[in-house]
Amino acid sequence: MTTAHEHSHSGDDHAHKAAPMVEEISDYEVLELAVRELCIERGLFTAEDHRRFTEFAESIGPAAGSRLVAKVWTDPAFKKRVLEDGTKACKEIGIDWFEPTGFGTPSDYTHFVALEDTPTLHHVIVCTLCSCYPRPLLGHSPYWYRSTNYRRRLVRWPRQVLAEFGLILPPEVEIRVEDSNQKCRFMVIPMRPEGTKNWTEEQLAKIVTRDCMIGVALPTPGKTEDFHPVHKASRPAESSPPKAAE
Amino acid sequence: MSVTSDVDLSPIALLEAIRHQGKEWDVLAPRYGVTNPDPPWKFPLIGTFESLAASGSLPALERRGAEDELGNSVYSEVPAPERDLLALAHTMLTRGLLTEEELVRRMRAVRSRLEAA
Repeated sequence: MTTAHEHSHSGDDHAHKAAPMVEEISDYEVLELAVRELCIERGLFTAEDHRRFTEFAESIGPAAGSRLVAKVWTDPAFKKRVLEDGTKACKEIGIDWFEPTGFGTPSDYTHFVALEDTPTLHHVIVCTLCSCYPRPLLGHSPYWYRSTNYRRRLVRWPRQVLAEFGLILPPEVEIRVEDSNQKCRFMVIPMRPEGTKNWTEEQLAKIVTRDCMIGVALPTPGKTEDFHPVHKASRPAESSPPKAAE
Repeated sequence: MSVTSDVDLSPIALLEAIRHQGKEWDVLAPRYGVTNPDPPWKFPLIGTFESLAASGSLPALERRGAEDELGNSVYSEVPAPERDLLALAHTMLTRGLLTEEELVRRMRAVRSRLEAA
């Protein structure tokens, strides 16, 4: 009989150091498990329910926000409804802020406001207090959004901070920073870029990346993901190509 | 939409003891050189929020309202997601969904299991 851990971790082929981990068990970790187990034992929900919701929470991304922006760009009546009552209009793309357990999600009840960019006004969002973010539309916030650096400096020097993201706006464009809070979440509706005439909603949605909806980037034809530099491998594989499963 | 408050803000001994230990993730993680910004129990906690809401045991709006009130008062010094976890436990205890005694017992059992060699 073999076990999953009988292979070598010290052979020359893949010697590596284990990533550091917190080597103590906090009472928070214990409390989370204890509450969950008691709920399951009481029949408040099942372990399968819990696994399903946890998996869903982990997997959400910015696709819903991208769909919303693409629809705003192509449907003037929808745009009007989004700007009048963003929370209500979200239901039309399957996001119900009042029912977080529906297609919307995780655990964010709040009032949602869409911020429309114009040729002379650019919006960018932040949460100076903590990390409030329109999760039902954009998924989980990036690490830098929660950093003290971004939260502190964006409200003081927005133009400079945007430039650090590579977004250099002309001086005649006003930059407005919206500070999220417990009850109100924002998302940027960027301007539709040139070169996208006759595009379908699906095509348009692909260029509306997460960073565009935070306001630190602008949608650009051909750019379908937020690029964040990755370090080159210091020891690239030398011999055989990677296995399919890797 | 406003949520009517009937949140009991009285401190609860068990949760007070936990919050005074100073073992929040943003303290522990740098101590061990861990760069992940979130504790491993963050998403399971969200799973619990959602499961409770889906079953109707603790509707999301009520939990969020209580979380806001508790987060602005009793647990204002605690960072998220620890604050959200304390607020959930606090809400369940004050609503009688759990008792402090059984929670203490269960925590003891869970810790013993996690620490078993």
